[in-house]
Amino acid sequence: MIRPRRLFWPLAAGIALAAAPATAQFGVLSDVVNKAQSAKKIGDGLHSINEQEEIKIGGDLAGMLLGAAPLVEDPAKQQYVNRLGRWLALHSDRPALPWKFALIDSDDFNAFSTPGGYVLITRGLFDRMRNESELAGVLAHEIAHVERKHHLEALQKALRNQSFSEMQRYFSVSTGNGLADRFTDALLSAGKDLYAKGLDKEAEYEADRIGVVIAARSGYSPYGLAGVLQTLSATTEERAYGLHTRTHPLPLDRLARLDSAMGLRFENMPDLIEDTPAFVALRNPALPPRPAPSPPRPARKKRT
Amino acid sequence: MPGLRVLLLAAALLLTGTPALANERGSVIRAGDLYAEPFIDAAKVGPLAPNQPVTIIARKGGWLSVETGGKRGWVRLLIVRLDAATPAPGKSSAALRTGSTGRTVATGVKGLDEGSIQAASVDRVQLARLDRLGASESEARALAVQNRLKESQVAKLKPGKGK
Repeated sequence: MIRPRRLFWPLAAGIALAAAPATAQFGVLSDVVNKAQSAKKIGDGLHSINEQEEIKIGGDLAGMLLGAAPLVEDPAKQQYVNRLGRWLALHSDRPALPWKFALIDSDDFNAFSTPGGYVLITRGLFDRMRNESELAGVLAHEIAHVERKHHLEALQKALRNQSFSEMQRYFSVSTGNGLADRFTDALLSAGKDLYAKGLDKEAEYEADRIGVVIAARSGYSPYGLAGVLQTLSATTEERAYGLHTRTHPLPLDRLARLDSAMGLRFENMPDLIEDTPAFVALRNPALPPRPAPSPPRPARKKRT
Repeated sequence: MPGLRVLLLAAALLLTGTPALANERGSVIRAGDLYAEPFIDAAKVGPLAPNQPVTIIARKGGWLSVETGGKRGWVRLLIVRLDAATPAPGKSSAALRTGSTGRTVATGVKGLDEGSIQAASVDRVQLARLDRLGASESEARALAVQNRLKESQVAKLKPGKGK
């Protein structure tokens, strides 16, 4: 695969060579080149990151989040969330990514996405959904973050002063390499800050808008996300709303933006699905397994 | 076919849309109207004022069936917030967060909070399991057929205005 960013390498080396004194020996020259390489910062280099590299970054960040909250041990639910998530992702601008979805074991009300198509949703959020369109709304919102590369761009800003060659090592080897591990550490540190503090408001509003469209394209009511935001609007701890308000919009602000952006656009869309028998059954394993009426029998005397 | 029976039972639960959970109460965010039916061109039952309390009876797409001021009718979902006293659906909410990125709005006992994220290390075993979870396009399409999902062409939305 051609990696456009790497085409710049001969150019960078050429500049370093040209800048070296004409009398320098070859060994000295290569020293200069090495220093130029190791001093080179990532800067905007993540702009041209390829898909495989994006997936590697996203996988490590997903692995970090799984380190905080592991997968829920429920194969039926994991399979359902993956099929639903993939169906939604097929209606995004990046249908061909190797999308992975998962329920993670936390009571919290949250969902995450990482670059390359990883989407994690907490058990607490899943359990509080009123219907399948709410799950579709949340998954579609996360898919939108991946589509727009919101996290990748935020990481690029945070990592712009990291060494470019360390990042190259990170992409080309697995673990156990000093240079690569230095980049891994920097990536995880930046990722932890990002997932603890959040994206900027505009990225969230944009993901809300794209998410409702993905849900509607996929056949779900686009109001599922609004239902989840409404649930969040009932949060009792007003004082806690002060936390991170600079970088995270409040649920009511998100509802107002959706109200304005959606208008009456979806009013006359027919056949949108809010819930399905399969999802209700998945969420209610306690439903009696065989309630079917028994066939009529000839009347008999009952014993008392 | 016990699986089919479960599905049929579940289908029966769906006949009337999504019933609101008990005690869902809210209030009107901005002035609007109460409608006789969940359509924008339905007859208006009366005006709704900001902060007017509503009791939610049922949900249908972008609409809520509500009782308010002695009247019953439908209001657009997007102009209603839930009261703080309303329990979140499903479980009591010790820890609620919003967005995709973890704004803590209440501190949870077992929450996936900043501290647990900062302390986390990459779990390679879990990651390998996650990487095996993905569904194929044909599996996704099979789910869509089962759930009778109909694809539509929908254009992207322009940004809305904030307050």
